[in-house]
Amino acid sequence: MSDTFDQPGQPDFPAGPNFSAPPVQPAPAPVEAFSFSGRGSEYFRIWIVNLLLSVVTLGIYSAWAKVRRLRYFYDNTTVAGTSFEYHGNPMAILKGRIITVVLLFGYQFAFKLNALIGLLVLIAFMVAMPWLIWRSLQFKLYNTSYRGIRFGFRGNAAGAYKVYLWLPLLTFFTLYLLTPFTHQRIKRFQHTESRFGASHFSFNGSVGAFYKTYLIGFGIYLAGFVAILLTIGASAYPFVGDQSFGAGHVFSFVLVILALYAWTFLMYPLFLTLMQNLIWNHTKLGEHGFRSEMRWSRMMFIAFTNIIGIVCTLGLYTPFAQIRALRYRVESMSLHPAGSMDDFIADNEPSGSAMGEGMTDLLDFDLSL
Amino acid sequence: MTTAVAAFYFDGKTSRRHAVTLEVIDGMARIYSSHEGVGDAAPVERVCPITQLRVSERLSRAARKVTYPDGAYLEIQDHAAFAVLLESTSHRDSLVVRMQQNWRATLAAAAALIVLLIVSYLYLLPAASGVIARSLPISVEQRIGDGALDFLDKHILAPTTLPSAQRAAITARFKTLTASMDAVEPIPPYEIVFRKSRIGPNAFALPSGQIVLTDEIVTLLNDDDAVMGVLAHELGHLQRRHLMRRLIQSSAIGAAATVLFGDVSAVIANIPTVLLDMKYSRDVEREADDYAIALFKANGMSRQKLAYVFEKLGEKEAAGGGVPPYLSSHPASAERVERILNAQ
Repeated sequence: MSDTFDQPGQPDFPAGPNFSAPPVQPAPAPVEAFSFSGRGSEYFRIWIVNLLLSVVTLGIYSAWAKVRRLRYFYDNTTVAGTSFEYHGNPMAILKGRIITVVLLFGYQFAFKLNALIGLLVLIAFMVAMPWLIWRSLQFKLYNTSYRGIRFGFRGNAAGAYKVYLWLPLLTFFTLYLLTPFTHQRIKRFQHTESRFGASHFSFNGSVGAFYKTYLIGFGIYLAGFVAILLTIGASAYPFVGDQSFGAGHVFSFVLVILALYAWTFLMYPLFLTLMQNLIWNHTKLGEHGFRSEMRWSRMMFIAFTNIIGIVCTLGLYTPFAQIRALRYRVESMSLHPAGSMDDFIADNEPSGSAMGEGMTDLLDFDLSL
Repeated sequence: MTTAVAAFYFDGKTSRRHAVTLEVIDGMARIYSSHEGVGDAAPVERVCPITQLRVSERLSRAARKVTYPDGAYLEIQDHAAFAVLLESTSHRDSLVVRMQQNWRATLAAAAALIVLLIVSYLYLLPAASGVIARSLPISVEQRIGDGALDFLDKHILAPTTLPSAQRAAITARFKTLTASMDAVEPIPPYEIVFRKSRIGPNAFALPSGQIVLTDEIVTLLNDDDAVMGVLAHELGHLQRRHLMRRLIQSSAIGAAATVLFGDVSAVIANIPTVLLDMKYSRDVEREADDYAIALFKANGMSRQKLAYVFEKLGEKEAAGGGVPPYLSSHPASAERVERILNAQ
């Protein structure tokens, strides 16, 4: 739906310290930067062992792999001298994944069998999806803690249906012109319903700000597109009227296509940057604020070099690439405390279902931003 | 004898951080406030049997966590001192942690993974998909192929112009030839469909059991025995459930490539899929050739005629008429001819 600007490759603990709010020292509290101590060389070892065991166990271990991966990311994310903790239970995640795989197979099969049955199943999926996303948010947040206090997600099914079903449908039928609006409503839902212990997050990003950010992103894309056409493209056809079409032209033509493809690919980190900044700069935990100061040129550079690394090493660079991107995202964040942060208190709430969790991560729904 | 380790204690009820010292004596973990009287925080003291505590896995930089049954926990940044403390208890890292923290084990795991992937690609996946394809009822395959012929009729095929007598003769002759094979391996239900092609000489089998024979290939070969060879080859695809197997194999490779490269780009993830799938394509062509050889042998027909099919198509290819679709992602014609002639 509108959450397409997250790197799908990013771990499920994506926007760095996602929904991760935090406490600090007393009164004239200094700004606390988030830091990330994960290293590619160490994560590579975890990644490769996870991969091997997942393959050997025909995917069963992947639930444990996920827990180890998230624990690594959470444990290495620190703010104000304390790190985060992930509490997900691999058995719960495994159950969610098994059910998801069975449902997906059923879905594929239904379509092959009969288009009408397939369509009905598709509709059933669409109807179930908001509920699953809602449960998944509960599961994810409940299983995250900081300073011994668990995060949580309140929200209700009606709210989830509104932002994850009705608004996306409305967006679809209005030629996607409502995309920034829907995105704002989704974020508002996610961030205002999130809590840390008994304290609530709040979100004051306006619809106007979302439209503005989308326009800026689109403007940058267009500017780059035109620049590529004018520079590389112009060298392919240096003089108007020159009809000869030699090897040099073909080469330039291929170059233009490649450059445009690469540039389009880089829209991902661009939007990710703009959105992370927009969203976290308008999120508060009680009176405590956040800042995210990512630069899109830097994030684009990281994404571009990461891809080259991954392709050149046939995938072995992947864990290094993930850590590199995550580190930049986390370390661009800071916490601006409004006073003592020693006084958050825990709240007791149920844990959400891993079914939703398994479903959304198999379908590659990244709920981060 | 005992080691004191500096830690932060969180009680799980508030976000307050208490600086404490941790000691383990006789299987009991004791913590107490490090700076008593500092601030207004009440001093902390807690004693708990170590058997009730859970220690987080070892990572090289991240602080370690020791969790109490009630959700309270300790965060420990002094790795060295904590390692000494753990050494004195019976705590041991799990096998997975020891692998993760050891380069040699990691490299061995990487090597094992690569070997496993290669073995899966070369042997396990083809074998598994063969078993699965065979155990699925033919009706499933037919459902998948439903509508394929309609689609082709609309886009690349036209009604045949071959005389109906010739068509009937081809169908009847092939029927008698397959009868002798039925005793060895049951012949799947099939139907020969004649069409004029807009894409040159071609013949192919559809999952629905239809074998499409184009007018162009009949004219090009201009030899009844050779046409029988083409049909035998296509029947081989049906009999060995190749279409289903290919479907399973390419899905599996696609899934694996997505795991490895999907993060990066869908286009890049497709490149290995296409390249790796070529081998499977050539493998099934060889199997279908073998089936045709067996059918010719059972009927006492000359394998020369079978070889002639590929010689003829190879000639057309060499003549620069473009690669006939029949040969794309197929083994080289010369190699196939040689194989057919040398078959036992």
